[in-house]
Amino acid sequence: MSDPLLLKLKILIVETLRLEDVTPADIPDDEPLIGGGLSLDSIDALELVVRLEKEFGVKIASSEESKAALANVSGLASYLRKHADPSRLPAA
Amino acid sequence: MSVTGPAIHIAASGALTAFGDEASTLAALLAGRSALRLLPVHGSEGGDLVPLALCEGHAYEETVLPSWLPHIRKLAAQIPGDLPWGTARYPVFVTSSNFGVGHLHAFRRRGDPAHLAYGTPFDCVDQLVTALGWGPDVTTLSHACVSAHLGLLQASRVLAAGLADSALVFSFDFISPFVAGGFHALKILNADLPAPYQDRATGAIGLGDGAAFAVLTRDRGDFAIAAQCLHNEMHHFTANQADGAGFSACLANLPDTGRRLWIKGHGTGTLNAGRLEATALAHRFPGAPLVSWKGALGHTLGSCGLVELALAIGAMRAGRAPGVIGASAPGFTDTVAFNSIDLAAFDGVVCTSNAFGGAHAALLLHHA
Amino acid sequence: MPSAARTPRSFSTMLERWITALHTEDAGLEEPAATRDRLKDRFPKNATRRMSQLGLLVGTALEPLQPGYDDALIYASAYAETRALEGYLDSFPNPSPTLFQTSIHPSAVQQSLITSQRPIRQFLPLTGGVHLPAQALLTAFLAGSPRVILCGGEERGTWLLDHGRSSDRTFAFALTLASEPVTGSLARVTLDFSDESPHASCDFPLPVFFDHLHNRRPVDACVLPGRRLRIEWTP
Repeated sequence: MSDPLLLKLKILIVETLRLEDVTPADIPDDEPLIGGGLSLDSIDALELVVRLEKEFGVKIASSEESKAALANVSGLASYLRKHADPSRLPAA
Repeated sequence: MSVTGPAIHIAASGALTAFGDEASTLAALLAGRSALRLLPVHGSEGGDLVPLALCEGHAYEETVLPSWLPHIRKLAAQIPGDLPWGTARYPVFVTSSNFGVGHLHAFRRRGDPAHLAYGTPFDCVDQLVTALGWGPDVTTLSHACVSAHLGLLQASRVLAAGLADSALVFSFDFISPFVAGGFHALKILNADLPAPYQDRATGAIGLGDGAAFAVLTRDRGDFAIAAQCLHNEMHHFTANQADGAGFSACLANLPDTGRRLWIKGHGTGTLNAGRLEATALAHRFPGAPLVSWKGALGHTLGSCGLVELALAIGAMRAGRAPGVIGASAPGFTDTVAFNSIDLAAFDGVVCTSNAFGGAHAALLLHHA
Repeated sequence: MPSAARTPRSFSTMLERWITALHTEDAGLEEPAATRDRLKDRFPKNATRRMSQLGLLVGTALEPLQPGYDDALIYASAYAETRALEGYLDSFPNPSPTLFQTSIHPSAVQQSLITSQRPIRQFLPLTGGVHLPAQALLTAFLAGSPRVILCGGEERGTWLLDHGRSSDRTFAFALTLASEPVTGSLARVTLDFSDESPHASCDFPLPVFFDHLHNRRPVDACVLPGRRLRIEWTP
């Protein structure tokens, strides 16, 4: 895993959602976050949004936008690169 | 099979919304007005703007002497008769989702312990009982947005069992940063105004203050609740079964009466639930016009079932029901009524509410 | 104030049910983390990370009863999801959607029924103070289903407890009620409605009700003015 943003997001997912027996390395880049192998649901997604907004200074306005941003970890990283304050992203 | 037995009569009802009493509210709805205003979700602490409909004089951030209490007193003063509510033969059924939880929020932010007297549900209800002079026979039911339906159901059962002569159902929910903050965190309360049952790209709700009462009897009153039904999907906290089976399961228990019905739906402005609800209603009651008033009043949460029932009764007395406000075609189904409905040809209404956890409630009301 | 001087008609009736199953969980002063560790294997993997202590205990008490769709489920809690409420309030100005959701009554029952995907037709959650068991029992008695499940509980708080707005102990119970006695019925329960003690205080809060259930102690108490509860346990 060479992308530090992907790693940071995976750590954040494990911590925020208090996933037991799951390490960041267990989270695939491109598998659906919601409804995928981690058994996360829409409430988990919203909890992540709160953490992402606080961590990266983004603003996700609606549930539809949060579903799109959180499709998978790669997609989330792309979203943050597009919308977040660059100074809050880990250096590549 | 319906969950209730014999029909129960409504001898009196009344409502309070951000527009005022029932008559003022109906007039405003028929004029197509909305009470929703964009206000900071965290009140004096700012935050995103969200649509809220607050009763005049109700302080969004709770005050030590609750600014909602005068509204409750004013509504309670409309309850007719001089009955000893809260005594054995005249029980009271209080329903709410939030009770005085806004006071806990105020206490935690500002530290004034005087707020604690209203903070827990039973403390809040005890204050109400004292303020309104009720006796101790008060049952408090709380199940989010179907709370009021449960109060009506349990009151009906106590009457049907011969354990009471009249029953008072009293519902209230006043908005505070506690509940608005929560719905905002769920991303369904945002700067968009609600457009119930409108087929559009994004969904949004508004929240509103609401309170209402109904006096139920076995045999007096010009309206009768002919059937009441419940269903709880227990599928997910915030999502319904994708095929709408939960909505259908509740409605399936309403009897076929041969009456020409209109429908007062739940319709908060969310997309998926709104679509499933409208579709299920159109299937169960083909051609029945569907309205929701939450686009104007906001979602009054635990009180919505009784607030909107009281308004439906008022509409049936006046002969005209307000249409969906805040929304426009296309609707999820062609039964969505964006304009007001002449009720001359109708002789009954189905009132529905839905809640977190896939809870569904419905009742059939007609002239007695 | 409504007139209290209206002369009451003489009225007396008695309702009768039988407890056919009962499960109690008395966690006392146990912390939520310890409860989760103790009970998590009773739930699907990863299901308990969002469950509250009350949810874990109510779910544990309910599971042996296998709630079915045609059962009526009555739930009683005075304070409900205290820890989630505390946590949600403390999460401002970035309110947690999970804690908001969890704090809403009747979350404790929904947590386990949603985990096991068990729909139920009638679910009537109550809250209240010193008369909560009286009202919950009447709600259960009138539910009209062949089998009625009455459950409830409380969880101990932290700062809400410091301010006297939380239970000081954690417990949960679930029992089934039937209209007729069956072989193995545990107790006969009656609610007697009469004009006796119309002005008595009759405090009988949920922890007292729980203790009688947990210890199989008989009850003969006024639980609301004009309403007497009797529980007679089968020897």
